[in-house]
Amino acid sequence: MGKLKSVAIYAARGVTLLLAVSIFSFMLASASPIDPETRYRLSHPGASDANVAKMREYWGVDEPPAERYLGWLGGVLRGDWGVSTTYRRPVLEVVGTRFKTSLALMMTAWAFSGLLGFAVGCLMGVFRGRWPDRVIRRFCLLLCSAPTFWIGLVFLAVFAAALGWFPFGLAVPPGVPPDQVTMGQRIHHLILPALTLSFLSFANLALHTREKLGDVFDSDYALFARARGESDASVLLRHGARNALIPATMLHFGSFAELFGGSVFAETIFSYPGLGAAAAAAGMGASDMPLFLGIVMFSACFVFAGNLMANILAQIIDPRTREGVKA
Amino acid sequence: MKTRKLLPLTLALALAAALFAACSGPSAPHGAAAPSDLPPAARTEVTIGFPDIPSGFDPLTISGHGSYVPLLYSTLVALDPDMNVTPDLAESYAVSDDALTYTFKLRGDARFTDGAPVKASDVAFTYNAIMSLASEIDLSAVDSVAAEGDTVVIRLKRPRSTFILDVAGIGIAPERAYGEGFALNPIGSGPFKLVQHDVGQQMILEANENYYGKAPAIKRAVFVNMSSEDQRLIAAKSGQVDITLTSAPLAATNAIDGYNLLVEKTVDNMGIVMPVIPAGGGTSAKGNPMGNDVTCDPALRKAVAYAIDRQRLCDEALDGYATPAWSENDGMPWHNPESRIETDAGHAVRLLEDAGWIDEDGDGIREKNGLKASFPVYYFAGDSDRQAVAMSAARQVKEKIGVEMRVEGMGEGDVMALMVSQPVVLAWGSSNPFTSYCLYHSSSIGKDDWYNPESFGNPKVDGYLDAALGARTLDEAIPYWKKAQWDGVTGTSMRGECPYIFLVNKDHLYFRRDGLNTGEQMRHAHGAAWALVANLKDWYWES
Repeated sequence: MGKLKSVAIYAARGVTLLLAVSIFSFMLASASPIDPETRYRLSHPGASDANVAKMREYWGVDEPPAERYLGWLGGVLRGDWGVSTTYRRPVLEVVGTRFKTSLALMMTAWAFSGLLGFAVGCLMGVFRGRWPDRVIRRFCLLLCSAPTFWIGLVFLAVFAAALGWFPFGLAVPPGVPPDQVTMGQRIHHLILPALTLSFLSFANLALHTREKLGDVFDSDYALFARARGESDASVLLRHGARNALIPATMLHFGSFAELFGGSVFAETIFSYPGLGAAAAAAGMGASDMPLFLGIVMFSACFVFAGNLMANILAQIIDPRTREGVKA
Repeated sequence: MKTRKLLPLTLALALAAALFAACSGPSAPHGAAAPSDLPPAARTEVTIGFPDIPSGFDPLTISGHGSYVPLLYSTLVALDPDMNVTPDLAESYAVSDDALTYTFKLRGDARFTDGAPVKASDVAFTYNAIMSLASEIDLSAVDSVAAEGDTVVIRLKRPRSTFILDVAGIGIAPERAYGEGFALNPIGSGPFKLVQHDVGQQMILEANENYYGKAPAIKRAVFVNMSSEDQRLIAAKSGQVDITLTSAPLAATNAIDGYNLLVEKTVDNMGIVMPVIPAGGGTSAKGNPMGNDVTCDPALRKAVAYAIDRQRLCDEALDGYATPAWSENDGMPWHNPESRIETDAGHAVRLLEDAGWIDEDGDGIREKNGLKASFPVYYFAGDSDRQAVAMSAARQVKEKIGVEMRVEGMGEGDVMALMVSQPVVLAWGSSNPFTSYCLYHSSSIGKDDWYNPESFGNPKVDGYLDAALGARTLDEAIPYWKKAQWDGVTGTSMRGECPYIFLVNKDHLYFRRDGLNTGEQMRHAHGAAWALVANLKDWYWES
């Protein structure tokens, strides 16, 4: 009964969130100073008034925003997300194919930053206050303040240009038809963007893990364990790591939003044809509203799913957060 | 104690090392053979680092000037590098004496990439379809288009001397195959055909074996999407592209082994548009207030124009990769060299003093009736070229004649609302004099597009522009286009009423692999990407 209730609550939250996001995005888009007519006049200087009138009709510029929103929402509920003006394909199809490309990138980056971040955090925690900790911590702080696109450019300059280990971008080698691309080539093209993206959250995770480990090592039970003669490694494995895993998991699943945001930059820099690059293209030059709204809704689902998983996992890892159990 | 401490360290390090190994394991070279591995003489392929892979290839929605149209499609007529009209799909054409009827006689041997012949009915279909669409191509002057055997007869509603330039930009689509999905699977009769297209990533063209013209030396062209100039630089440095766009700052600081810098002269000009009417001059279509009390004084505008040493702008702001600009159409057949001015700061000061602009409070800025000779100049935030040129001009103007230009960046949408009342840095450059018509004709005032935000309206100039557009042919129109710029008394140029302070024509710059010959190019219009590849059929590798 309790499980059913919490599922219902989560579902209700998800639906209201999506509604709110869609309404808010629609309002923002309507408030943009560049409406379809302006955009058309900008990109088609000297367009005749007759052509502008045809364009206004096509875009439904003269309908009130509320009507346009309901029209869009009705379409979405029937499964019709509209047609992307940038890619000239149905929005759902664009989002689907692009997400597959992005998913490989984001999940590689996410797994890598999670494992590395946690390992480095443990390392810093164990050596807290001593030189390995000081060196790594400074490096982490540096990474935290470095923007993704800058890291991407540095990687390009070092690994693609100077060393020539990796290609300069794209998901496949240029000039090769898609059916002849090998898995190895795909992975080769994935590494630099994934590495760039993973640097977004890795440092953050490491620093949080370090703090939590510090707390554990200062605790009475850690002192007691040491007094019993347990080694540092044993304290780390039995007490430290397990305790530090809770905030790390929460943080890392909660970082889906940053992951998605970061992929916009990483994919743009590496011309990696994923959802982030599509979002940038839809939002920047083309004013591709159907695709843009589609991506916004999809990313909202993605982030919501990340947070939901964090909540569920936290309950599994830490019995104290389970409902009905009073700590 | 020490050995005990080492255990967690080794554990953690081992974990980290394992991760690194796991992630960098597949990094053994899997990449396809780099193009540079082949000897240049044997090459018929070119890889282009390109910022603008289109989403589709519909010829009915876009003009061929600055697009894929000349690559994939053929046009009734074409333009040579000197802007002469030459035959293409039509082996000849004639214009009636009343300038209303154009008759094109088609060559018989043209075929689409699917093997079907290009017929007059395909041409008529293309033109009629464009007229029914909200296309970029404006055919509002056309009355009817008809196919008669192997000729196409186009009747205009009114004479239009630039019509043949429009014709030169219209790619012909096959009537039979045009429809849903055509934009992604285009069928044309141009020198190349599309073999693969992946939006945001790459497009691959191959030479069209059915092409009726000279067979291109380049058999395969790979356009690789690269939106940032840093990425394009890195791609050239690592030898992964044969040619790619670059910018003045990068060209000035990077020499790449095995590459040369291709410098193409342009009409891609940059200038400051100055509102010519006083504030309170009404509102634009979108309700933005028009006019500016400082820049409405022609003496002040001209003083600024005369004061600026344009060669210095080219050197200071664009590392010398630019030429001074005197109009929106420098180097074009319809440019009037008489309209040019000489840099003369002394003359500028006299103009200002005669008009009553004196620095009375000694702050270095002139004023007149309590109004300071000071105005903002907006550029699109993020456009570093426009910013650098405007700031360099502002320094000169302040130093030499005591007029203050406050250079500020702003988003495009905000600039649109402000440009009818404040000076803005805009860029033009077109191979069609119709641009000049839109820029200066009084009918363009207040429409909130990029044309005539300055509210320039001069009955005499309107008369010249109307006469030019209404002339029978391009050649017959040229004297009127020239008079609109400067007729000895007035005009749209800086020597005339000076609504625009033209500054520089930006060179278009490319890193090009040694051995690649990119042919003779038409003077580039605004936009460096498509202008470069418009003559891809003339490119070849030198042996």
